[in-house]
Amino acid sequence: MSDDRLLVPVADTPTVRQTVESAVKTALGDSEGYVRFVYVHSPDSSREEEDPTVDPPVKETTEFLNRVVVWARDDAGDREGDLTVETARLGFDDYLFSPEDVAEVLIEDGTAHDVDRVVLDPEYDPGVGAPFLRPLEYELAKFPGLDVEEAPVQARARRTPLLAGSTPIQAGALFFVSFAFYQVLAGTLELFDVVTGAVSATIVAVGLARVTFHTDPTFASLGRTLRLVVYLPYLLYEILKANVQVAAVILHPRLPIDPRLTRVRAAVWGGLPVTTLANSITLTPGTLSVRVDGRTLTVHTLVPAAREGLFDGGLERGVRFVFYGRDAMQIASPRERNDTRVLQPPDEAETTDGNDSEGDVAKLNETGGDGANSNGGDSR
Amino acid sequence: MTPAFLTAETVTDVFLLAAAVFLLLAVAMFYRAIRGPTTQDRVLAVNVLGTNTVVVLALVGAGLGEPSLLDIALVYALLNFLMAVAISKFTVDRGGVL
Amino acid sequence: MIERLRVATILVLVLLGLFFTFVSTTGVLRLPDVYSRAHTASQADTLGAGFTLAAVALALGWGTTSYKTVLLLFFIFVTNPTAAHAISRAADEEGIEPWTTDDDRTDEDLLDASQMETDGGDRRGDQQ
Repeated sequence: MSDDRLLVPVADTPTVRQTVESAVKTALGDSEGYVRFVYVHSPDSSREEEDPTVDPPVKETTEFLNRVVVWARDDAGDREGDLTVETARLGFDDYLFSPEDVAEVLIEDGTAHDVDRVVLDPEYDPGVGAPFLRPLEYELAKFPGLDVEEAPVQARARRTPLLAGSTPIQAGALFFVSFAFYQVLAGTLELFDVVTGAVSATIVAVGLARVTFHTDPTFASLGRTLRLVVYLPYLLYEILKANVQVAAVILHPRLPIDPRLTRVRAAVWGGLPVTTLANSITLTPGTLSVRVDGRTLTVHTLVPAAREGLFDGGLERGVRFVFYGRDAMQIASPRERNDTRVLQPPDEAETTDGNDSEGDVAKLNETGGDGANSNGGDSR
Repeated sequence: MTPAFLTAETVTDVFLLAAAVFLLLAVAMFYRAIRGPTTQDRVLAVNVLGTNTVVVLALVGAGLGEPSLLDIALVYALLNFLMAVAISKFTVDRGGVL
Repeated sequence: MIERLRVATILVLVLLGLFFTFVSTTGVLRLPDVYSRAHTASQADTLGAGFTLAAVALALGWGTTSYKTVLLLFFIFVTNPTAAHAISRAADEEGIEPWTTDDDRTDEDLLDASQMETDGGDRRGDQQ
């Protein structure tokens, strides 16, 4: 077959980039090639509540498909002229519920465009149910005249042998840390402890190095550790200050609390900084991080004073100092960036937001006053 | 308070007394653990109970001069954390709490 | 003199620890819903345990056992907020609404409401 015609279902997965590359390579083979990238819309369980007629994902999807086309042209390189790329969005007006439905739509589209092969991203999952890939492959294979293959990608999260994906530095660092921890617990440096410690640390290093580190530990992380030592007393001071405030509220006979769910888009980036911030927020009384999605933290606040403190972003500034150094402390607070929202109840958002600290004290007392009936309910 | 009161023996007594009070506070937590009403309330109560147990173990270990109790406290603290996370994870249908 | 100062510090730390643990217990028993309870359970309790463990570490002195107490303190400071986050997130995933001051429902009503919601969702799923 001189002219390969491929159908590639794509979604925003970690391996989509490699899948595109592999598909383009297969399609070009030794002559001209045709690749059709399709995005299958499906009812995302998390979007269930939203109005289906608005459909905000359309713009995102179009952008995503455009990106895929750019990648494909990139991969074709000099032979760009030999490659025909098409994109399509499927399942837009159908309600796709199972792998069978998705396979059906794919086959229909493939037949209409005279495609003879489907390349699947190993991580592909349009969100109709997990596990998805095996059933989809199975359904597609039932259809004669269509080859199904999995793109040979590397960075797979699952099915990797031990140590794959971790470097000797990572394994070594983890070995050192766990060995030191073992010796600290043992307390003595006898031969027995050293030998058993070495065995346990080896097992831990081999098994968990990939989970523990994403990148090699460097000396930059050493500087970070030093700045963390500066941050900790500040955090401790905040914890103490806020604890006294909350203790006063809890021991107050009328229990003058005013709990609200709030949402903050934090100006920190990456897994570890966000985790540090979320944990710091939880440690500071009156604020509790309920949910973390990327940079967006959903925080439950117990008293208005804690809410104001959260919006002033002192902790956020501290975390930025730890991870990005002194300069990053200049970034405006969440309130100034307008990255804060009080979720509950939504119509009171402005009034609660606009309060200064004196206003809050007044509000707190007032809440205590009219909260009397609910308070009776609590002391059941 | 006379200065003679501040001796090493008082520390032992204070530790054991504090352990008793911590134990009482831990028992109070059973109210929330039994009453609920949500599963999360119960997990929370048991988690606080576990933290109190760790502190009691440390206090008793220091008060009675049994340093091995500190090892038990260390293991208990880690198990307590694992318990809270594991139960939170498995009470949610979709999983993925952490 | 230094010995007396040390003992006095230990006593103060133990008292502070007891106070904050008492606050945490009161909070967990008194507060209206699971999210507010998670506040005191994670924070006042962490601080209470922290003060008490600091007292224990100070009493044991510089030796082979007191660093274990410091390690314990560190663990509690890292794991307690994480556990509270996991618990409150689980509550959120279950669809339990946080209580607010103008809400006259009790925690059990909120639980019932979340269960009705879940059942409704399932029924809708079955019809598909």
